[in-house]
Amino acid sequence: MNEFVERAIDLRWPTEVKRAYDVVIIGGGGHGLATAYYLATRHGITNVAVLECSYIGGGNSGRNTTIIRANYGVPEAVRFYQRSVDLYAHLEQETDRALMHKTKGLLWIAHSEAGIRQERARAAVNTACGASTEYVDPGTIREICPQIDLTGNGVWPVYGASYHPAGSTARHDRVVWAYAEGAMRLGVDVFQRTGVTGIRMDRGRVTGVETSDGPIAAGIVLSAVGGHVTTIASMVGLRLPIRTHPLQAFVTNRYAQAFHPIVASSGLGGYASQTAKGEMLIGAEIDRAPSYAYDSGHPFLQHCAFRMMTLLPFLRDLRVLRQWTGVCDMSTDYSPVMGLTGVDGFLVTTGWGTWGFKAIPAGGEQLAALIATGRTPDLIAPFSLDRFARDRTMADRGSAGTH
Amino acid sequence: MAEFGGQMAADSLLTHLLRDAGVAIGGGCLCLAGDCPHCLATVDGVSYVRTCQVTFREGAAVTLHAANGQLPPLESPGERPPVTARTTHCDIVVIGQGPAGRVAATDARSVGAHVVTLDAREGQDVIGVYPGPLVVARTEDGMRHVYPRGEIVVATGASEIQPAVPGNHLRGLVTARAAAELAASGVPLGQVVAVGTPPDGIVCELASGTLVRFEPSSDPTRVGAVVMRDPGGVETRLACDTVSLGLGLTPRDALLRMARGMNVRGVGDVLLPAHVPPCPVEGTVCPCAGVTVADLASVHARGFHELELVKRATLAGTGPCQGAGCVPHIRAFLAAQGAALQPPFTARPVTRQLTIGEVAAGAHHAVTPRTALHEEHVGLGAIMERLGGWWRPWHYGDVDAEYSAVRTGVSICDVSTLGKMQVSGPGALALLEHLYPVPISTLAPGRARYVFLLDERGYVIDDGMVARESDTRFNLTFTSGGATFAEMWVRDWAESLGADVRLMNQTFSLGAINVTGPRAAELLARAGVGAPPAFLHHGQADVAGVPCRIYRLSFTGEVSFELHHAAADSVRLWHALLSLGQDLGIRPHGLKALLKLRLEKGHLIVGQDTDFDSSLRRLGCEWAVRLDKPAFIGRQAVLRTNRLPLDRQLCGFEMDGEQTTSEVVCRTPAEGATIWDGEDLAGVVTSTTWSPTLGKSIMLGWLRLKDGQLPTDVTIDGRTARRVPTPFYDPEGRRARG
Amino acid sequence: MRVVERLNAARIVAIPAAIDAATWPTGALAFRLAPDEVLVTASTPAGVIDDAHAIVERETGFSAVWVDSAQAIDFLERECDWELPRERPAFAQGMVAGLPLKLWFGQDRVLMVVASPCAADLAERLR
Repeated sequence: MNEFVERAIDLRWPTEVKRAYDVVIIGGGGHGLATAYYLATRHGITNVAVLECSYIGGGNSGRNTTIIRANYGVPEAVRFYQRSVDLYAHLEQETDRALMHKTKGLLWIAHSEAGIRQERARAAVNTACGASTEYVDPGTIREICPQIDLTGNGVWPVYGASYHPAGSTARHDRVVWAYAEGAMRLGVDVFQRTGVTGIRMDRGRVTGVETSDGPIAAGIVLSAVGGHVTTIASMVGLRLPIRTHPLQAFVTNRYAQAFHPIVASSGLGGYASQTAKGEMLIGAEIDRAPSYAYDSGHPFLQHCAFRMMTLLPFLRDLRVLRQWTGVCDMSTDYSPVMGLTGVDGFLVTTGWGTWGFKAIPAGGEQLAALIATGRTPDLIAPFSLDRFARDRTMADRGSAGTH
Repeated sequence: MAEFGGQMAADSLLTHLLRDAGVAIGGGCLCLAGDCPHCLATVDGVSYVRTCQVTFREGAAVTLHAANGQLPPLESPGERPPVTARTTHCDIVVIGQGPAGRVAATDARSVGAHVVTLDAREGQDVIGVYPGPLVVARTEDGMRHVYPRGEIVVATGASEIQPAVPGNHLRGLVTARAAAELAASGVPLGQVVAVGTPPDGIVCELASGTLVRFEPSSDPTRVGAVVMRDPGGVETRLACDTVSLGLGLTPRDALLRMARGMNVRGVGDVLLPAHVPPCPVEGTVCPCAGVTVADLASVHARGFHELELVKRATLAGTGPCQGAGCVPHIRAFLAAQGAALQPPFTARPVTRQLTIGEVAAGAHHAVTPRTALHEEHVGLGAIMERLGGWWRPWHYGDVDAEYSAVRTGVSICDVSTLGKMQVSGPGALALLEHLYPVPISTLAPGRARYVFLLDERGYVIDDGMVARESDTRFNLTFTSGGATFAEMWVRDWAESLGADVRLMNQTFSLGAINVTGPRAAELLARAGVGAPPAFLHHGQADVAGVPCRIYRLSFTGEVSFELHHAAADSVRLWHALLSLGQDLGIRPHGLKALLKLRLEKGHLIVGQDTDFDSSLRRLGCEWAVRLDKPAFIGRQAVLRTNRLPLDRQLCGFEMDGEQTTSEVVCRTPAEGATIWDGEDLAGVVTSTTWSPTLGKSIMLGWLRLKDGQLPTDVTIDGRTARRVPTPFYDPEGRRARG
Repeated sequence: MRVVERLNAARIVAIPAAIDAATWPTGALAFRLAPDEVLVTASTPAGVIDDAHAIVERETGFSAVWVDSAQAIDFLERECDWELPRERPAFAQGMVAGLPLKLWFGQDRVLMVVASPCAADLAERLR
């Protein structure tokens, strides 16, 4: 029997679209569905529609490398992602669904003096903000991950690493479905194959959306889309400091479980982990050129494979199964953008770059609190859109680099 | 991979195993065409090899996956020769050399086209069609990268539908094509029953009706009978040794779909409409992931209706054959539930499998350049490190002595890695006025000054020097790590502004040696430079016979002469200086000593002490911007953000050494340590060192303002530190002026 | 291992027309790196560049090695993804073996030119 067959989650789709909702969420990915879930479970707000132009979790929620971590570089980010790590740790219990959450520990390797400085700073800031990260030497790295070639094939020697024991993974699809199921059970309507083609406004205030199934009135519209957020924002005349870049990854066939942690290297521009199925999952940095294209590139596969073999020589004879691509909304400071936009009734959760999956629970929880109360929670206040105008950017490029 | 026809040139490993080696091949319907997962094996240490696609080689070590039931080990034992990748540019590439592919290749050649053919039956497995367009194939001799200028012809044919009924895991099941091929190769098939289209050239019993299930023989792993049902519902059991299954064809069109939007054309069976088999009712649908019809029904009943969601909820189609066997059945299943027939999954590379070692062929590590003095450093016992993108001497074994040589005598340092650019032309001055936030027109020929580069947001992107040679000619320097970006920046702006300038990047062309220390001028005098430039000046002179441009700035805090010269002369100049300075106690210093020296002077390093949103105000360097200058990049942003309250600033800190019973112990916090203002996290240390001259730890770090004020006393590493003005050493800068 | 030797050359940045009109010392090779830039394998370029603002510099920042055609083609087939010129002589530049190379295709041999800081890597990758 295939242990990976989903045997519990029950998706009860609505039969018809209502003419009006209190809240319309554009985008049925992790963030949109989690927001709907927390609106329903925490605030009793269930007159909510989630509109998905394709199938739920079909964008980046289902294309990421499922890594959960809080080891960011700026205090506000560490606190936010730590909230997400904590929520993820209890999500199986809360939803009563097997999400295959597994704590693995994450090594972020330093190959240079600059790398040491960065990983030491990460460990210090994380510790100060409630995330457990420590700086470890090569001897400890070997204990945590015996497969690492500490000489880096004689080219990129390993000097040290930050070690984040809370680093974990979960099955991405099941996280999306569990949120969808929980929200729908309480009365939220989730529609697939329903694209938003316009946003209705009246005297500067958002009043609803135009969809492929006709107009829907809404008190609040939240854009939780990935990839085309600038298109959605432009429907209300809003420009966002976002550029969309492809991000690629590949997996091998299934092998016996033997690689336990998540290993990342900024110097080599890649990261690797072994999935619950036994595949080695390997990814790289975003493509430099902005694009909405989902094309898979050969240079990525060739160079990422080459570089990760430098650190993990056991990869050499493993057979590649599949490569794929997601598109990432990158903000200019490499941090997410959440909350009010200055357009009455229009909210965004975006800028999720390469770190969207790990933020799903906290992002959904906090956005729901904002929608329910009308007040921006402290945890996400630093990530507001107006930070760019206020010169309060959250520069965190070093944490965004790979995954 | 090609359309079916003829016998393989040599025995496939699978044929050999079935005919000669007596190996009990695992169950499932064998296709012999690379479409199914049933012949997968570990061959010579590489797992997930389709033995039907590998030519037999005497002595190969083979373990069939199905035979041991375990996942293969996660390892790559032993050594292997490196894999090569070969690139070909051609007019037309034809994938597949069955009848249709051969015709396409012949036709193209007949009109003089340079055609490359790739045929799986010749061991050329195409793994993907990529943007380029680029067709990548794996062969036994390495990788092939083929770039067609014209058409990509896909002639990959069609695969046979796998049976999705109970018992489809048994041994003794083959597709009709495979049956014919095996018989022709001399594999004994025994009594054969044919379901659907019968195999060519084999005597067999034809089964009629609908396929219901396969039943085992006395060997529970092997088929013994096939059960059929007639339209009246009556079941018939046909005893056999082998079942040949001709259930219809489905196009092998993954490459065709992957290449959508490119200059691509399908020929032959790859254009066949996808055959939709009857809706499966029982048994395994996806043998790779072990997904049954019951699993499909179970997830469908719970709302998973989209093909993609069914795939994700069951993992059907995510195994080695990537849906080739199961997708027709899943589509049939979903269509039978009343939905429209859904398109198959998105086609993605890799369509044929290869190892990570193979796909990496042709890749190289990014190069870390070496200066002309690299061998000199190594010869002096230097520990070389990658710093700012270059190999640089970290130290030569005695950092304290290197430091002391600078502070008390004379030392040299290889600074060839600095970005260097010459700008000439009538538009040079206007361009530089636009690039830099300080006036350039007031810089007289012969003068040099330290400058920052800002981006449009008013944030620091680099720092360096501007030296004016004449009214229309300047030399610029940039940081070692930032030089590539800076060159792009200058060129982009020159182009945007339409500046009438000539730009020459001389980073690699010029070596640079910094001569520094209180006795630096003495050393230069011995090298023949009696009247070196004054502080913040520059000039041309021969140093020990080497033509140099001498820049007089200082990063170390002592008198410094930066000697820029043709890279070919670096070694000669280096030796001359070491030799002339021998009795002055000269020794070279590495970067570790330099970082200590500069930190004593409070000089920041862009990239280490700055982030990409560091304004000059945040860096405490407002002296480096002149807002009365009417226009420069970043001016608007600086004006705007200066009106906003300051949130954090790069500050200097000092900390006493720790007194133990007998001595002062220097225990300097590590770079990256957190800075605390009481209970509040207030920042991070970006640079630290123990200052031998000052007898305390000194640091630079980011400090958040509280209530509009910067705290004075902070805690770093659990110990008290004081915020102090920089420079820590020689604040009046007398020593650098000499 | 092949020796990749430092080139004693000159490099000129000037308005394109001035470079078009210039002549170079006999036997010297002139590589047009860009419309406004030329690398000349002669220690001092003869002839006058008709551009008062031209930058004319002694250039020792490049290194080079001659490789006979058969070996060069074999190397390039493995290490170069872009299409090489077919005519001879010809000049081309681009990434080869992960290095930015300039290639001069003579009748029976190829000159491979690389920035000197990467010369050791070229020698190693040429094996």
